[in-house]
Order: sequence, then structure tokens, then C-alpha cells
Amino acid sequence: MWLPVFGLIIGLVLGYLTDIRIPPDYTNYLSIAVLAALDTLFGGMRAHLQGTFEDKVFITGFFFNILLAGGLSFLGVQLGIDLYLAAIFAFGVRLFNNIAVIRRLVMDKWTNARKNQ
Amino acid sequence: MKASGKYLFYSFILLITGFFLSFSYQLAKTEKTSNRISEEWKKEDSLRSQILDVQKTNKQLSNELKVIQQKVQDKEENVANEEKNSAGLVKELKQLRMIVGEVKVKGEGIEVTLSDSSYIPDGENPNNYIVHEEHIREVINELLVSGAEAVAVNGQRINHNSYISCIGPVVSVDGNQYPAPFVISAIGNKDTLEKSLNLYIANVLASEGIDVSISKKDEIRMEPLLAEKENEIEG
Repeated sequence: MWLPVFGLIIGLVLGYLTDIRIPPDYTNYLSIAVLAALDTLFGGMRAHLQGTFEDKVFITGFFFNILLAGGLSFLGVQLGIDLYLAAIFAFGVRLFNNIAVIRRLVMDKWTNARKNQ
Repeated sequence: MKASGKYLFYSFILLITGFFLSFSYQLAKTEKTSNRISEEWKKEDSLRSQILDVQKTNKQLSNELKVIQQKVQDKEENVANEEKNSAGLVKELKQLRMIVGEVKVKGEGIEVTLSDSSYIPDGENPNNYIVHEEHIREVINELLVSGAEAVAVNGQRINHNSYISCIGPVVSVDGNQYPAPFVISAIGNKDTLEKSLNLYIANVLASEGIDVSISKKDEIRMEPLLAEKENEIEG
């Protein structure tokens, strides 16, 4: 259980210490990657709470979402259309949905636990 | 084994997520600072360009100043030259006035006194023994030729317009009448003037029965022509 937490901490430290300058054109990709990662994480949490969690879906979803979002915004840049906004929109909506579902599940669990008491 | 492999994947995913999060956080922060830095840089740049502009205008103005100073110097030089010229002119004018007789002059010179002969032999024409105007003229001409700078007859200045004529017993100099004896004074080198008179004229005059006496003077003063003319008007 402690290993993923340890990985998160290492990732944070690495990201903070990394001193790579990326061109301003690519900050869009970064924001989409962040969104995709968060979305997958919260999706995984929801799935876990709902009891439908599958690690293969989670792992492939994580990478596939990031790649898809990156590819979409790349296409948008090539076509001159802000397609990355679509990715941001989709991920944002899903993020809110997931968090809402998680909240409801947690609340249900909590109230059930109180009733049982 | 399976469980730990699953956790390994989770930790890897979380690592990547954490990396993205903190990386974008750090990036945003550095971007902000870099923005600030670039703003400061821009400010500095504009200030520097302002300084350059000011220096340029300064240079231009100092060049103009130089040109103007040069002009002023030229004008001053011109003025100085003109002053020098006018000073020279004034000096020349003074000298010319001295020669023409418009100002008072003084200096060394000689005085020649021509008087009628004191002895007239019997039976001789006394006309041959008195001073005539041509004698005066001869003396004056001789004096002028010998370098006299100013000549006067009985104290009256002679200039280039003067006339000397005979009016019976007296001689008129510019309308003023004088009887004998006549004192002709001349300013110039006294030795030269005396020698030149003694060379020829004195003998001629003496042979014509006129008493000639020449005396050297260290200082002779002569009144200007104008004052005498006033006197003339008064007279």
C-alpha cells in the first residue's frame, strides 16, 4: 500500500527538481497531460469504490487517455484549430462527474456505517 | 507477486502524475519570474535607449555649440581687426591733421627772421632793400623742401591753400596783414633746416639787402589754422 504513495512523492520531487525549459507552444500538451492523469486517477478511485475496478483498464486508460489527448491537441495545432480545448472540456466534465460520484459513494458508505452502528 | 506487480504499476502511474503536477507548478512559477525578469529587462532596455537618445542629442547640441563658438570667435576677431584698423586710421588722421594744420603742434625747429635792411645807401631804390613776399615764399618753399613738417609766418600756420601776397607796404598771409619783420617758424629737424637755408637762400637774401637771422629752437608751438581763422573773423 505504501509503494504508490512513495511513487507519488518521488514523482513530485522529480518534477520539482527537473529544470527542463519547454517551449511555450508545448504548455498546452502539458496541461492536457495533467488533466488526463487526474481524470484517470479519479476514474480509478470511483471504479474502486463501485467495485468495478480492473487494473488493466486503469493502466491502459491512463496511457491511452494521455496519448489521445496529446494526439488531439497535436492535430489541432496542425489544423490551426484549438482542439485541445475539446480534450480539456471532456476531461474536465469527466473529472467533475467522477468526483461527484466519489462524493456520493463516500457519503453513502458513511451514512450506512452510522446506521449500522 | 501479482499484487506487488499491480502496486508497482500504480506507483508508476502516480509517479508520472506527480511528475506532471509538480513540473507544471514549477514551470508556471519560473514562467512568472521569467516574465518579471523580461519586464525588468525591457524597462532597462528602454531606459538605456533613452540614455542613448539623450547622449545623442547632447552630442548634437555640443556640436552646434562648437559651431556657434567658432562663429563668435570669428566675429570677435573681425571686431578686433576693425578696431585695430580704426585705431590706425585715427592715428593717420591725427598726423594728417597735423600736416594740414587743423591741430596744435609743437616740436623742435628753427625760426627765420627776415627784416628790412637797416642801411639804405643814398641814391638807391629802397624797394630793393625791403622784404618782399617772394622772399617769404622762397624761404617757405626751401623749408618745405628740406622736410619742414609745419610752417608758420608770424605765428600763422601755412597750409597747402595758403597764399602770400604783397599789398603795398605790408604782406598779406591768407588775408591777414603783417608788416616787416617777418618771423617764419618751421617745425622739423632743426639742424637739417638750418643747413639747407644756409646752403643757398640765406646768401641770396643777404645779397638782396635783407637781414636774415636764423635761430634754432628746441620747442616751437603752433596754433591750429582754425583758431586763426576765428581770429580773422573776429578781426
